[in-house]
Amino acid sequence: MSKQTKYLLYGTTLLIVVAFLSLLWGQYHIDVATFIEYLQYKFVGNANMDASTFSLIDNIILEIRLPRVLLAILIGASLATSGAVFQAMFVNPLVSPGILGVLAGASFGAACGMLISNHWIVVQTLAFIFGFIAVGFAITIGSMVTNSRSTVMLVLGGVISGSLFTSLLSVIKYVADPYSTLPAIVYWLMGSLSMAQLHEVLLAAIPISFSLFGMVFMSKYFDLLSLGDEEAKALGVNVTLVRIIAILLATLASSLSVVMAGIIGWVGLIIPHIVRMAVGPAHRLLIPLSAIIGAAFLLLADAISRLALSVEIPIGILTSLIGIPIFIIVLKNARAAWN
Amino acid sequence: MELRPVIDVKNLHFSYKKHQVLAGVDLKLYKGEIISLLGPNGCGKSTLIRLILKLLRGNGEILINNKDIEKYSHKEIASRIAYIPQYNNTPFNYSVMEMVLMGRVSKLDYFASPSAHDFEIAKNALKKVGVEHLKEKAFGQLSGGQKQMVLLARAIAQEVDTFIMDEPVAGLDYGNQIRLLELIHELSKQGYTFLKTTHYPDHALLISSRVIVMNDGKIIANGTPDKVITKEMIQDVYSIKADIIVHDSHKRCIPIFQKNILNKGF
Repeated sequence: MSKQTKYLLYGTTLLIVVAFLSLLWGQYHIDVATFIEYLQYKFVGNANMDASTFSLIDNIILEIRLPRVLLAILIGASLATSGAVFQAMFVNPLVSPGILGVLAGASFGAACGMLISNHWIVVQTLAFIFGFIAVGFAITIGSMVTNSRSTVMLVLGGVISGSLFTSLLSVIKYVADPYSTLPAIVYWLMGSLSMAQLHEVLLAAIPISFSLFGMVFMSKYFDLLSLGDEEAKALGVNVTLVRIIAILLATLASSLSVVMAGIIGWVGLIIPHIVRMAVGPAHRLLIPLSAIIGAAFLLLADAISRLALSVEIPIGILTSLIGIPIFIIVLKNARAAWN
Repeated sequence: MELRPVIDVKNLHFSYKKHQVLAGVDLKLYKGEIISLLGPNGCGKSTLIRLILKLLRGNGEILINNKDIEKYSHKEIASRIAYIPQYNNTPFNYSVMEMVLMGRVSKLDYFASPSAHDFEIAKNALKKVGVEHLKEKAFGQLSGGQKQMVLLARAIAQEVDTFIMDEPVAGLDYGNQIRLLELIHELSKQGYTFLKTTHYPDHALLISSRVIVMNDGKIIANGTPDKVITKEMIQDVYSIKADIIVHDSHKRCIPIFQKNILNKGF
């Protein structure tokens, strides 16, 4: 078994275990024995369980927890993968969808969408368009001062782009109806997986999976692009095409995550670093494993957000609280991870 | 039958922001040759190799295997010519094996991953340049000489027979410079063709089959090393004196200080 298959297998096992536990954990705790009885009742039909308990558990698992678990997997995978892709595209280990302003741009776009229409396709399209504008703006500023790719300038460009769209979002909040639209926008932006509806999650899963698989399939080119454009071209890569498609896919995945669950920061920055420290920088493994570990991380964070206090903590706040100390450790070990 | 050049450059011009870098360059590279491209800093030799690799676009004609370079994609060029750049570090520290596998990308389908076959080729390429023991090491931790060997292995893994090298010995210690030259010579005997830029006329004498000298964007000499590398050429191009001596029936080029400061004590 190759090293790559081995790590992917470990990662997938971890993800399945965490996903399974997430189905059981919650305010109403379901133990494993009850869950097995539930499955027996549902699929085999022998009644070790009374009908009312069954319908309660059935309701909790299918209506409440399953959509939430699926959404956490999709969003964790989206953010971590697009973070890894952005880091490869800009040969810059300090960028992420959050730092490049994509999340801010997408949230502005989505809020615009909510203001003018309730249709999901309008909201998703505007989120994607403004997410893309935001990253474009960050790149433009980042390359304005120096022609060469400067790590710090791009981060600065992202900070500027992010705060521009945060300001624009404030304008939307200001004009939004304070009794209906405003609170909806505010709670949504804090980041939450609690609003997940199964059919919406499945609908969003189509474009998100498309971009995730696209990024995984392109991953061997990311190694070459990180050597610099000239070397990548000489090795036979159509650099411009790969870069444009990769940035579009990463922007699509991270923008849709904003539409589905608001701004969930730090996942896109720390997960690629942690995975890179564990398995090295080769993107054939880094990209799919970031998706798996990102999904598992967000599931765990969501479990904590549900269980830690009697009220639910918005998950965006929680990922920041977890992400910041982890990133400080990552920065301390930065040399080891990057060099 | 007339021998057809692998690379045929005809009347090539290139300007960078009104500054003319190449002013009508003609160059033919034939199979089995080692061409050393000499010339002072800024003479246009790096630009010339970038144009041949389609990393820049100029005016004029470049034919690769008798077909216009404009008709090639980067992938198609990479399956005919390998480029061995001067090594530099990336922010992501790949293993030596990963680095060599990157040479396989031009051979793979768009969505395919490297297979066991590609790993085998990469391993053999490392063996060929004598650094197979480094395959698990991180590229960033290698010495300059080892890095250059790994990049050469990557070119071999590309499975092409024409190599373009940009100052291959730059930054290498004395021993590694000579070992690399020996390796290039060895590979040339196995059928590889080389076009390399160099700052050392002596190295050009040691292993080239042909030397091309550039100055101010033009080719000013082109021929066998014995004929091209002369005192007069060194004086013209580098404005220093040099002696051409014969050692072990082989011509060598040694520079001479302008002022006679040697053996005068300090």
